[in-house]
Amino acid sequence: MSTHPTTGPSSDFAELGDPGDELFVEGADWESVVDAVEDSTLTVNMGPQHPSTHGVLRLVLELEGEIVKGLTPIIGYLHTGIEKNAEYRTWTQGSTFFTRMDYLSPLFNEAAYCMGVERLLDIEVPERAQAVRVILMEFNRIASHLVWLATGGMELGTTTMMTFGFRDREHILDLFESQSGLRMNHAYIRPGGLAQDVTHDFVERCESLLELLPRKIAEYEDLLLHNPIWNHRMRDVGVITAEECYELGVTGPLLRAAGVPWDLRKARPYSGYEQYDFEVPTDTAADSYARFTVRLEEMRQSLRIIRQALDALPGGPVMVEDKRIAWPSQQALGPDGIGNDPEYIRHIMGESMESLINHFKLVTQGFPVPAGQVYEAVESPRGELGFAITSSGTNKPYRVHVRDPSFVNLQAADRMSREHSVADVIVVVASLDPVMGGVDR
Amino acid sequence: MSPTPDLPSPQRGLTGAPLSLEQLEARVTERFDDVRADVLRGELTLFVPPERLLEVVAFCRDDEELSCEMLADLSGVHWPEGEHVVERQVSTTGWPDYRVSREQGVIEVLYILRSVTRNHVVRISAGTQDTDPRLPSVAGIYPTANFHEREVYDFFGVEFEGHPNLRRILMPDDWVGHPHRKDYPLGGVDVEYKHDKHIPPPDERDLREVVE
Repeated sequence: MSTHPTTGPSSDFAELGDPGDELFVEGADWESVVDAVEDSTLTVNMGPQHPSTHGVLRLVLELEGEIVKGLTPIIGYLHTGIEKNAEYRTWTQGSTFFTRMDYLSPLFNEAAYCMGVERLLDIEVPERAQAVRVILMEFNRIASHLVWLATGGMELGTTTMMTFGFRDREHILDLFESQSGLRMNHAYIRPGGLAQDVTHDFVERCESLLELLPRKIAEYEDLLLHNPIWNHRMRDVGVITAEECYELGVTGPLLRAAGVPWDLRKARPYSGYEQYDFEVPTDTAADSYARFTVRLEEMRQSLRIIRQALDALPGGPVMVEDKRIAWPSQQALGPDGIGNDPEYIRHIMGESMESLINHFKLVTQGFPVPAGQVYEAVESPRGELGFAITSSGTNKPYRVHVRDPSFVNLQAADRMSREHSVADVIVVVASLDPVMGGVDR
Repeated sequence: MSPTPDLPSPQRGLTGAPLSLEQLEARVTERFDDVRADVLRGELTLFVPPERLLEVVAFCRDDEELSCEMLADLSGVHWPEGEHVVERQVSTTGWPDYRVSREQGVIEVLYILRSVTRNHVVRISAGTQDTDPRLPSVAGIYPTANFHEREVYDFFGVEFEGHPNLRRILMPDDWVGHPHRKDYPLGGVDVEYKHDKHIPPPDERDLREVVE
């Protein structure tokens, strides 16, 4: 690998020490390494395909014996240019792209993006669409935390937790599939509302999950809360204080586990979060174990929000009335999961030429969005997920930048794992919960 | 596990009321007379000359009233020479007019500063010529800017002076060019149809053509 001529540092790992000391070894010459590194540090690659690194994350560790003296995350292996791609698609198509970034919380990506576009359009989304967004987002938060428990648990040796977590997450994904047609990457939330109304059995499905999940969460708590291995591996590991969180821009469960009750759902309510009664769980220990308890409690609070939203689920449309934006226009879900409203087809095909033209132009060209810049942020399972959207007044985004919480939080891995052993790096990365699809975008 | 109310006091919780946009604007502009402010869609943007950037950012962080502890986001936008930079949105749709008053041929870097204790947000915009983009690094003020500035360097080629480790972050180290610049070639080809019709590759299409 070579650096770009204008970057300055001559070595890729300039910050890791004098390149003159570097010793490259492969195979079974461990003895020579031990002899060579007695009084200096050893640089070891972890990843990008290590099973404990949550996907293609590469960590370059600087070790002194077993103790980590420095950690450099090397990212970009999953970069797919989603932000650039979106500049050549319509605003509605953007939803399909951004949902694929952080693949464990697709609905948050969609919702944050759509809320930004709606702010630029200066439109109000119907109450029903907002309530359904909240319900689905909170279920998504639980699903994401379940994957965190599952993969984090597996990394710490509790393979039972892995099977439990993925098993119960599947129930939530079944709900998503029944509403959007897809388990993940839904593109269900669109600028102006939702792609289609929820199905007739939506409430029933949510109720059965609300009945199932509290029991399951209690089960995980029984399994892990006082588990001696879980406790010993996580307590006092990866401590990051609130001040350090501010410096490094760390948000989400990490910041809350450091004692700051900062949650965008409370601080700057969106999608009607101000009408729901819920707590922001915090802890003061600021270690990996505190993050575990905070996430566990967050799942319970999510269930509380869903309960209230479901009880007060308003009727009415799920897309704005404005026919220049509402797309796809009035679809009805058939028994096969797809299908158009026969009434609507009759209208555009048989009655009104203008409606057909409008439908055609909306689908092929999309709608223009007034020029301007907005920054819209939501509280995703990993922290502040922000969309900095720039419109130049055309039917395509001029620039969309995504502030992904995993990307920012990953910077804290260095500070959190210093002076810990190599095994603790696994705990640190697990407690950060980075999703590489979001980091690399 | 106890929820918020039972906690001892958090190190720094939500103390103090957020400043309104006018108060935020007044607070900064009375200190820095060459900072221009603009409010759009309920967000305050401060246009800061690059040579004052570090001063203004440090002021936003350290001032008691502003107290922006966190740099929430840092991103770049390329506004090249050309006609598609909209100075004024002509409203034919019934939506109100909005202006984007940007000079052409600049790379604009946007800093979103957030106050956790006061719960308000300020956006700072700093422009730099796209022929030789160069800005002071804020990584000394907000360490979180490290990754963000590397990303903007990677995608737009902005040299952040004083950055501790300005290397590519998402693109491969030996990549040539800065892909988020609008003049970066996409490498698409014409798609040909019958009757001598063709569709140009995406980066050669006129972005304005479909807007009525």
